[in-house]
Amino acid sequence: MTQASLESVLTPEVKAMIGVKGEIVECWGTVDEEYLRRFIQAIMDPDPLYWDEEYARASRYGERITPPIMVSYLPNRLPPGEEDPVTRAFRENPMSDGIGGVRQRGGLPPIPTKLVRILNAGNDIEVYKFPSIGDKIRYQSMYKDIQAHIGRDGTPFLTVVTETRYWNQKGELLCITRAATIRR
Amino acid sequence: MALPLEQLLKLPPEEMLKHNEKPTVEQLRTQQQRYYEDVTEGMELPKYIYGPMTPTHIFRWSAAIENWHRIHYDLAFATHHDRLPSILVQGSWKQSIIPSYLKDWVRPNGWFWKASFQHRAMLVPGDILIVWGRVIKKYVKEGMGFVDLEIGMKNQDGIESMPGTATVVLPLRGGKPIPYPFIPPKE
Repeated sequence: MTQASLESVLTPEVKAMIGVKGEIVECWGTVDEEYLRRFIQAIMDPDPLYWDEEYARASRYGERITPPIMVSYLPNRLPPGEEDPVTRAFRENPMSDGIGGVRQRGGLPPIPTKLVRILNAGNDIEVYKFPSIGDKIRYQSMYKDIQAHIGRDGTPFLTVVTETRYWNQKGELLCITRAATIRR
Repeated sequence: MALPLEQLLKLPPEEMLKHNEKPTVEQLRTQQQRYYEDVTEGMELPKYIYGPMTPTHIFRWSAAIENWHRIHYDLAFATHHDRLPSILVQGSWKQSIIPSYLKDWVRPNGWFWKASFQHRAMLVPGDILIVWGRVIKKYVKEGMGFVDLEIGMKNQDGIESMPGTATVVLPLRGGKPIPYPFIPPKE
């Protein structure tokens, strides 16, 4: 019963997604002042390394820095001029949760599952360099792992781990993020 | 004198806020380097306190990073469609607080290297959030001081919403600088 339930969600088609990589994508725009300002105000971090040129220049970094994983949200920023992904998502599903059907450029192909509710289960972060103002960011994602579980109510669900690497225009690795999501 | 986490959690929410150890801009500017030798296993990091969280804080984050997941701003969708207790504080916001928190602890010349955490309890408007850390292990590799931490974010009721671990790197007193960009030690 349990094994059958697990296999009902971890189908061969779903298993085949493990290891699938997306293309290397260049984010629209650059790491810019306004994105930085809104980001650090939203995380309530007043660090002068972000905004005080003189102070930052005298630091070991020699320049202003930006939060290390700020670049991991840049893929959300879609180029103007493309079909509006929000409108498209709601056209395809009027009860869209606002994220499941809002596809990103060069993102991973969707997991072929009927489990459409997505919840954030956990994250891993590795940080190597602070992105600089003006950086052009490239990233590549892959499905690192997919597993099936049985919930307390006996319903099977999936956990999907997606790993993404971010580089700047010099090819320097900035950070690696791994996001585990639950698909119910 | 900083209150230990256990004692802080016994206080009523309005009293908790008085014990926020989040540094001011001036304190960040003048923070002296913490060295590997200054750290002991079991020692607590400063507690950063956020909140009470409001729908506006939550929406501000969604807008900043262009995350349109309705459970973070559409109360009717969150409660009726997804049967959640309210709109939820984003996991991505919680994730982004941790590098900020640990960057402060190791500044000016240390490095926050990595963290891993789960998202457990749901955080909702009205919650006060306490970010905490505790040293669980320290060791030297390639002339750098590594410090493993237990980290988390509890609400005012002491419920842990993101149990996890992290590793930061501190210079040894009189030792070599931590490389930047950071180069991890060979295993």
